[in-house]
Amino acid sequence: MQRNSNTTCPYCGVGCGVTAQLEDDKVIAVSGDKKHPANFGRLCVKGTALAETLGDEGRLLYPQLQGRRVDWDQALGTLASRIRQAQAEHGPDSVAFYLSGQLLTEDYYVANKLVKGYLNTANVDTNSRLCMSSAVAAHKRAFGEDIVPCTYEDVEACELLVMVGSNAAWTHPVVYQRVEAAKRAGQRKRIVVIDPRRTASCDSADLHLQLRPGSDGHLFCGLLKFLADNGALDEGFIARHTEGWEAALEACAGLGISEVAAATGLAEEDLRRFYQWFTDTPRTVTMFSQGVKQSATGTDKCNAIINCHLATGRIGHPGAGPFSITGQPNAMGGREVGGLANQLAAHMDFTAEDVDRVQRFWGATGMASQPGMKAVELFDAAAEGRIKVLWIMATNPAVSLPDSARVRRALERCDFVVVSDCTAQTDTADFADLLLPAAPWGEKEGTVTNSERVISRQRQLVEAMGEARPDWWIVTELAHKLGLAEYFPYRSAADVFREHAALSGYENQGRRAFDISALAQLSDVDYAALAPRRWPLPAGGSRGELFSDGHFFTPSGRARIVRVEPELPTAQGKLLVNTGRLRDQWHTMTRTGRVPRLSQHRDFFSIALNPADAASAGFGEGDLVQLENPQGRVRGIANLDAGIAPGQSFVPIHWSGQFSAEARASGLIPALTDPHSGQPQSKFAGARLMPVTANCWGLLFSRRQYRPGELDYWSRIAVTGGYLTLLADGAASEAVYAELQAQLREAALDFATYEDSAKGDFREIGHREGRLEYALFLNPERAVLPERGWMSALGAESPEPGTVHNYLAGFSPDREDSGRLVCSCWEVGEAQIGRAIADGADSVETLGKALRCGTQCGSCIPELRELLARARDEQAA
Amino acid sequence: MSGRLLIVGAGMAAAYLLQELAKRPHRLQVTVVGEEAEACYNRVLLSNVLSGENSETDLDMLATAPASDDGNVAAAPRIITGRRITHIDSKLGVATTDDGERLAYDALVFATGANVARPPVDCTGVGGVREFRTVADTRELRALEATGRSAVVVGGGLLGLEAAHGLNALGFHTRVLHRNPVIMNRQLDAEGGRQLQRDLEERGLHFKLGAQIAALDTDTEGHIRGIQLDDGSSLACDLLLFATGITPNIALAQASGLATERGILVDEHLRCSEPGIYALGECSQFGDTCFGLVAPIREQAAVLAAQLGGESPAPFRLQDYPTQLKISGVEIYRAGELDDASEQILVHGSGVYRRLVIRNDRLIGAVLVGDKRGGTWYSDLISQGRDISSIRSSLAFGREESASQSAAVAA
Repeated sequence: MQRNSNTTCPYCGVGCGVTAQLEDDKVIAVSGDKKHPANFGRLCVKGTALAETLGDEGRLLYPQLQGRRVDWDQALGTLASRIRQAQAEHGPDSVAFYLSGQLLTEDYYVANKLVKGYLNTANVDTNSRLCMSSAVAAHKRAFGEDIVPCTYEDVEACELLVMVGSNAAWTHPVVYQRVEAAKRAGQRKRIVVIDPRRTASCDSADLHLQLRPGSDGHLFCGLLKFLADNGALDEGFIARHTEGWEAALEACAGLGISEVAAATGLAEEDLRRFYQWFTDTPRTVTMFSQGVKQSATGTDKCNAIINCHLATGRIGHPGAGPFSITGQPNAMGGREVGGLANQLAAHMDFTAEDVDRVQRFWGATGMASQPGMKAVELFDAAAEGRIKVLWIMATNPAVSLPDSARVRRALERCDFVVVSDCTAQTDTADFADLLLPAAPWGEKEGTVTNSERVISRQRQLVEAMGEARPDWWIVTELAHKLGLAEYFPYRSAADVFREHAALSGYENQGRRAFDISALAQLSDVDYAALAPRRWPLPAGGSRGELFSDGHFFTPSGRARIVRVEPELPTAQGKLLVNTGRLRDQWHTMTRTGRVPRLSQHRDFFSIALNPADAASAGFGEGDLVQLENPQGRVRGIANLDAGIAPGQSFVPIHWSGQFSAEARASGLIPALTDPHSGQPQSKFAGARLMPVTANCWGLLFSRRQYRPGELDYWSRIAVTGGYLTLLADGAASEAVYAELQAQLREAALDFATYEDSAKGDFREIGHREGRLEYALFLNPERAVLPERGWMSALGAESPEPGTVHNYLAGFSPDREDSGRLVCSCWEVGEAQIGRAIADGADSVETLGKALRCGTQCGSCIPELRELLARARDEQAA
Repeated sequence: MSGRLLIVGAGMAAAYLLQELAKRPHRLQVTVVGEEAEACYNRVLLSNVLSGENSETDLDMLATAPASDDGNVAAAPRIITGRRITHIDSKLGVATTDDGERLAYDALVFATGANVARPPVDCTGVGGVREFRTVADTRELRALEATGRSAVVVGGGLLGLEAAHGLNALGFHTRVLHRNPVIMNRQLDAEGGRQLQRDLEERGLHFKLGAQIAALDTDTEGHIRGIQLDDGSSLACDLLLFATGITPNIALAQASGLATERGILVDEHLRCSEPGIYALGECSQFGDTCFGLVAPIREQAAVLAAQLGGESPAPFRLQDYPTQLKISGVEIYRAGELDDASEQILVHGSGVYRRLVIRNDRLIGAVLVGDKRGGTWYSDLISQGRDISSIRSSLAFGREESASQSAAVAA
């Protein structure tokens, strides 16, 4: 039986609606929801591949206490007594929860309520701290409340889009496509990208300002001065609706064009052009993302941006405003329930009045009265032994928090680490005393809020696997074990949502913009059918577009133009380290890492470097290199990219110990945080770059996941029917072979081996009953290893008896090489595209007609253009 | 050249020589004298006849010789079967048969072949002890009751394995007894031999290696019951078949005063120590080498036929003669030198063993068991001495080629 169900994508902060196609209660395909206001049917490759992430592979299915399977009753009984015991012996603050922007609002609400209302502590923070807390802090400083004043329609409607620290083409593909579509439709629109890297988002940019890392504050403070000097201010708006203007402007006095040019490393001409465009374009949206937020001065940077909009009155109107776009699917929902340690609940803080109000609403018996520890502080406290019970939900801090070595020490030191997740093996789960199986996307009900304040339902599509349970249920059951049943009477996510909505309207009277009390009386049926809705949604009806009346949520009702004195970050080490996302992966790959076609665009862990730096350090494309600093090190394949400025590097954030050897980007990041937001400076570190001698390279196809020992480098991706691992080591291939053989060989397998000892060429096939179990190729030269596409297809091979040894050749002469994957949706490779271009395709459209590449999610279009341009250049030469 | 040519022996060497002569214009009157009732048949195929994969009619080698055409006015050769030459007067140029016929000749060719080299065990009068050399042997073996009987084949070389395969196919429970711990140790390396042994064991053959026959056990009727081995163990059997290698048949040559060692000594033109007398095939010895494979004997035949036909052919030279075993489904191939293990490519496991020996970026030896594809290509690479460094990483998976054309098989 077939049916469709609308739900919301669990990846980035765009929050696209998706339509899941179900057959016999299995999700067989996922496509864009044509009616959802975030995407109107569009969907990126990650979302499109959602159905492929739903198998039981790697799932955590049962509670496990100290590695032993237990039932829920025992698991939560043990946890309750550990919490009581820790708080009795070490005080309330010895217990902490670390949540996630992956949680649904209902999960977040219950967890936040339990900790802040009943455990006498506010030690509940979230990985959203790493993602956008500087924007929260900046919004609160500027607007008096954490309010995102823009929507995706503004991004479409604006005539100048400034993208700051955002590679939306890869990280928020659907928003980027909406921008591109608007521009292609002939609408007057200029795009300026501000990023130290030349990224795929520069593809449609009219101007790319490749500024010095961390100098965004100077750029926008200089812009504020330029606006003032060039008569672009909205004096009336400033006078009527803001405060702090003079002090803010005064702080920018020293930042003329030449000073900004000196600080940012940009040409004055480029600066002047950008400033002039900004001056001339009332309909300007400045979209800013992790590139400015993940900074030790991130809050100031966000305010420097917001200041320019307040000074020109470009806020609260269609096509204008400062637009913080978040990374996670429900970072916004988490903020709304108060899931950050320095928030209380429903956009209320720790003022005596708010604490009292929330306490009365909840009937709380153990109310926290002051902010708890923010993420980095919290793990520092754990490393110092002050946290005795730490519950980590739906996130992987061993990989994602800065200074991973310290985080791991914290997890080791903490007496009782609880990890609730849908994945059994993560770097964090390795430290867990108690593992709790959480229901993932598709197996649970709830809501999420996207970057434009639209609340959408995530709906349950299939039965939860094993004993997995929704997080709100897990916390509710724990509350019952703690004797708090009367305060946690929830039987469904809808019950939780109604209470959350009611709290948002409780004693509000328009004082808090976050008010969704219109939804507080939803019936279960209404909740089930709830269509996407943008807040505010007060019970008494809308009060109009936020800020359109010049009203802000500060005590004075005026927006604050914040005095910002920009600072440049400093780091030790010759090479600067930037970090970020890739196009087809999500976070620590626990979900996307399982999908073969998502592992092909960028395959093995690599470090992007400027070609000139590589030349002077004496290595080339594809060589093994290491970045090292006092925090740690990463080793990766050198990916030479002229889009990386000299002296810089880019390390993707996705790799964990599950997928690669030394590849945790955060291992290089010092735990330096913004004083206002506590957000770590994840995109700026210094390191020493050095080539690593690899005497042995290898490729391993395997049915099972292997973490190959102590090798200098390995990195694993999913391929059809198994995994493909690239590996390298300083030892000779003979020694590496011996080590791997011991891991790979098992009883009941038959083998075929190839040894050319003089050349260090070792190959081995393991097979059983007509099925290849693994294929290993080792050689001192990486170039001699089999072609990756051939290796990736081995899972589909079923060799005839007596022919297994032919695979030792490392190639099959009759198979055409499609090359590195460019279009993940249609699985079109670079070699195929090259052939199509040679056959006459001369545009993205004709390529799309010939191969279908670029015709679905469109995120490969910048790359298609580049390939077309390169082909044209080659032809011209 | 014209005149009378007498070929002593009617085995494969004689057959090849006749084939080669038939390709050329000559006026020779050719007479062939053979001891067996059948002449000029393909001995190599006997194991296939034994196993039932070929019939006796497939053995005829003269039917495949091209018919005489223009310029070849010589009469068809006279073939005398079931007779033996007992005496040669090389001064007079006359040979005498065992029934007293005197055959005058202008040129004489020894093609007397070889005998089975038996270990020194007295088998006189014991029933059920046989050899496997002739079509007559083959017929007798095929006529035996096989079901429920067991056979021991002495000798784990090419001939022994093929014979054992044939007996196994007939229904005998067949065990190969071999002196060396490795079968085909003269052709294969140790691991190649073990791989071949596994292949053959999968086909139902059994092996007793590293032991030699010491004595026979017989029943009261003087029929074989089993054998005692030099390691103290014993094997029961109803049939004992010797396939222990060959000894060149040189008795007549010795008696005729020709120079012999293991075989009849010949020079690069196949000439013996007396003028007008030649030798080729298993009975001949060139330098230190005696011959058991087909390929060099064919070359000898070509050289000799050209010479007898009055041409001045290129001299016979020793080459590397690859080895193959023709047991259907069991593939082996060996070429070149295998003794050097210092640099090699080894493919092993899952029913396959391939070893390529390399020196100074050149292939010098190859042994292939389980999959002989590329064998002739390797032979070519070995003989050409081509630099293989640019193809080394795929060398072991060489070109797909028909391996049957130029490779030699056991004669």
